[in-house]
Amino acid sequence: MFKNKINTRVRFVFLIVSLIFLLVIFKVFYIEVIQYDKLSKLASSLWSRNLPITADRGNIYDRNGKIIATNITTTSLVFIPNQITDKEAVARDISKILDVDYEDILAHASKKTSIERVHPEGRQLSYEIAEKINSLNYDGVYLVKESKRHYPYGNVLSHTLGYVGIDNQGLSGLELNYDKYLTGVDGAIKYFSDGKGHRLNLEEVYMAPQSGMNLTLTIDLDLQLAVEKELDNVIDMYDPEDALILAMDPKTGEVLAMANRPDFDPNHYQDYSIETINRNLAIWKTYEPGSTFKIVTVAASLEENEVNLFEDNYYDSGSIQVENARIKCWKKGGHGAQTFLNVVENSCNPGFVILGQKLGTERLFNYVNKFGFGTKTGIDLNGEGSGILFTLDRMGPVETATTAFGQGISVTPIQQVRAVSAAVNGGELLKPYIVKTVSEPETNATITENTKTVISNVISEQTSSMVRYALESVVANGSGRNAYIENYRVGGKTGTAQKVENGVYLQGNYIVSFIGFMPADDPEIVVYVAINNPKGITQYGGTVSAPIAKNVLTAAIEILDIEPDLEGMEKEYRWYEDSYVKLPDVTGMEKKDAIKLLKDFKVEYSGSGEVVLFMSPEPGYYVKKGGTVKLMLKD
Amino acid sequence: MKIPLDKILKTIVIILASFGTIMIYSASSIWAEYKFGNEYKFFFSQVIFLAVGIAIMTILSKIDYRIYSKHANKILLICLTLLILVLIPGIGTVRNGSRSWFGIGGLGIQPSELSKIGLIIFTAKYLSKNEKDMRSIKLGILPIMGIIILFFGLIMLEPDFGTGMVITLTLVVMIFISESKISFFIGCGIVGLLGIVALIIVAPYRMARIISFINPWVDPLGSGFQIIQSLYAIGPGGLLGMGFMKSRQKYFYLPEPQTDFIFSIISEEFGFLGVLLVSISFFSIFYTSLKIFFKTKDLFGKYLVFGLSFGIILQAILNLAVVVGLVPVTGVTLPFLSYGGSSLLVSMASIGIILSVSKHQ
Repeated sequence: MFKNKINTRVRFVFLIVSLIFLLVIFKVFYIEVIQYDKLSKLASSLWSRNLPITADRGNIYDRNGKIIATNITTTSLVFIPNQITDKEAVARDISKILDVDYEDILAHASKKTSIERVHPEGRQLSYEIAEKINSLNYDGVYLVKESKRHYPYGNVLSHTLGYVGIDNQGLSGLELNYDKYLTGVDGAIKYFSDGKGHRLNLEEVYMAPQSGMNLTLTIDLDLQLAVEKELDNVIDMYDPEDALILAMDPKTGEVLAMANRPDFDPNHYQDYSIETINRNLAIWKTYEPGSTFKIVTVAASLEENEVNLFEDNYYDSGSIQVENARIKCWKKGGHGAQTFLNVVENSCNPGFVILGQKLGTERLFNYVNKFGFGTKTGIDLNGEGSGILFTLDRMGPVETATTAFGQGISVTPIQQVRAVSAAVNGGELLKPYIVKTVSEPETNATITENTKTVISNVISEQTSSMVRYALESVVANGSGRNAYIENYRVGGKTGTAQKVENGVYLQGNYIVSFIGFMPADDPEIVVYVAINNPKGITQYGGTVSAPIAKNVLTAAIEILDIEPDLEGMEKEYRWYEDSYVKLPDVTGMEKKDAIKLLKDFKVEYSGSGEVVLFMSPEPGYYVKKGGTVKLMLKD
Repeated sequence: MKIPLDKILKTIVIILASFGTIMIYSASSIWAEYKFGNEYKFFFSQVIFLAVGIAIMTILSKIDYRIYSKHANKILLICLTLLILVLIPGIGTVRNGSRSWFGIGGLGIQPSELSKIGLIIFTAKYLSKNEKDMRSIKLGILPIMGIIILFFGLIMLEPDFGTGMVITLTLVVMIFISESKISFFIGCGIVGLLGIVALIIVAPYRMARIISFINPWVDPLGSGFQIIQSLYAIGPGGLLGMGFMKSRQKYFYLPEPQTDFIFSIISEEFGFLGVLLVSISFFSIFYTSLKIFFKTKDLFGKYLVFGLSFGIILQAILNLAVVVGLVPVTGVTLPFLSYGGSSLLVSMASIGIILSVSKHQ
């Protein structure tokens, strides 16, 4: 009986032991099979050391595929402190080669870490220095390839592109806004080491870096270069506080060119002040728009049928009384009797006060909002301003009056360009954008793209065509005359914005601007030029900014392949201006008859004979008086 | 034809111990090369221990086990003396924070390991001589418990918690299979739990071990370090392992991989398959021993076989449970596989005595 008891209890112990064995086996199974992936990954990162290879950032192209931002390969110094046997010797020799402090390098070499980037002393080394370090042949001292951002055009498009930090991270502009696309996946040379950090005799694994995505912009590099050249001229001629030019396709919202002064070279952004490199004036700066804003007032008045530009008249005595304020016209003594088309042409402030009063506070305010003022445009860049408007309850008669001609509110350049685009493109308020496509670098497959985004319809096509007509008239006959381009149709509006400092308007210190578009009947480009406090010239938008806008538009003719159009308004010439004469058709005529008709021009011949076969320029073109006309003759 | 049980047992033990010796080479070569400039340092020692161990096993299997019953008291007295002597600085040597060794030349003797056998012999004799009294707590259980607690106390002074626990648990289970009452063990369990709590309060590092067991990633460089390194060895082993000599964790990641954590390296190099084979080996040792137990008529022999085989299996289970993260790190070696002369010789001696019991029926 006793034997039975002991045997029973032993069997019980055996059972328990068996169960514990099963438990152990099950736990091992769990670790080796269920947790295999997780533990292997963790263990692998414990066993291996990665010598990093930085990935290339994606390239940035203009709309025609020209490279504006790319990468160059440099070399970086990396220590694996555990493998460095003689730390003092390494520190001594390398500090000498790099010409830096011995203690700094010693600190890097002695750091208790598996892998130490010698930062910043050993970053982006030149070939010669890298060679010198390499020839030392120290254990634990490695040179790894590092990709460095490079902007081949230097200052061109700097604010828009932005810049990257030493670790290739986007810090501003598109580099920041599209950082997650542009950033690649770093690769590595992976080798195995023991628990003390010494390299094991196992094969290295090369993990290729993956380049970032490429960006294709809406920017046209040629137009951008033309814009940058004009701004350089502006700086040379007028030494302004700052200046900017912005060009957009009014049909789509694609930004074609964008440049500011002061600018910077993103390759060396550290050499500039933080304000200079981080303020993209074209989207950040907010100021009183001045007369360019009158386009909004005209468009609103036309849409609301409050004015007939041809039939309604206004007599400008030089000022107008609004409650306690006397609002003066910029022209002393006023413009006298005018149609409202003349009011627009002359940029007559009292005339616009009347338009504002006819609309009334609420409707005017409503249109200001509808045209997108007071809210960010949503352009795909960071650092955009939203501008400042009166709130409706604080808009009295005086505020309404000044808003009507562009004073007392504050807007950004991109808002103005967008609003004017809406006024002339048939009424579509668009979301401007600067990146056309994000594409995969190897297959070129499009990852994401921006397309035309219509936010709302602000005015009718009929109103829009009237606005275009009025603004073409401003350029042909009014304050925008200096932007007129012969044989092309240009519309536009000048602006001379007052600047407020400490609550008072500055005298003799204005932001002079011009906003123009072309062709005036079917605009393909809107250009905005703003120059802050130009020196040595009468500060009017028409005299300073309109000629700059004209140069940009002239450049755009070839770049955007804009066809000449002879249907436009004829410029009304003043005595001091070169006058242009329409070429009569002389083809098929006798040579002597042709000369008679072409008396205003210098005539050159080619070929021989008495009959005109071809003429250049073609008939109907406007040619400057005394300009050359070539005739090809035939018998 | 039926193969005799002692032949099976002997074969399994020799295969397992030989495999252990080879694994000690794989696990220790890097560490030995680094520390002694001789990658075979541990391997050669273990080969000698193995040879001596097999010799001892063979000799003990030939000696009639009944002689231990006669000399049980003397043996226990020697063990007691050694356990006291080892605590005296100058005589005992400190290793890994425990004063548990007599250093004799390059070798060392662990009195606590010797006491394991001594106590099992003594307890087997006690249980077989007092089988009627075991029903009574006062007459049967208390005297033997007193001796167990005395020895446990001495071992804890070194301190060597792992060995102390293996010995105490083994003896308690021996008492359990005797005529004793179950209610006593329930009480013991409660007292034991309280004891563990008290021990933790005395030495807070034990708490850190428990915490590191629950979540080793709380303190990956401190108390959780060994467990995490062990898991990093076992995990990547997968089903079939990385191959013999291909362990990565032995490259200074897992400290002293040839001792307590040799099972991790076996898992890493031979995967789940290796784990299964090693577990089955241990299980077979226990199973075969129990078969001998059931065959044995003599009560002293019965207790001896059970105590010795359970001591080995308990230590093995405890080690495996630690290595795979089932219980906190206790610091016991894996019989036959871990590096160490005392451990191997005592295990081999235990098997030798079991064989002797089998033979001398």
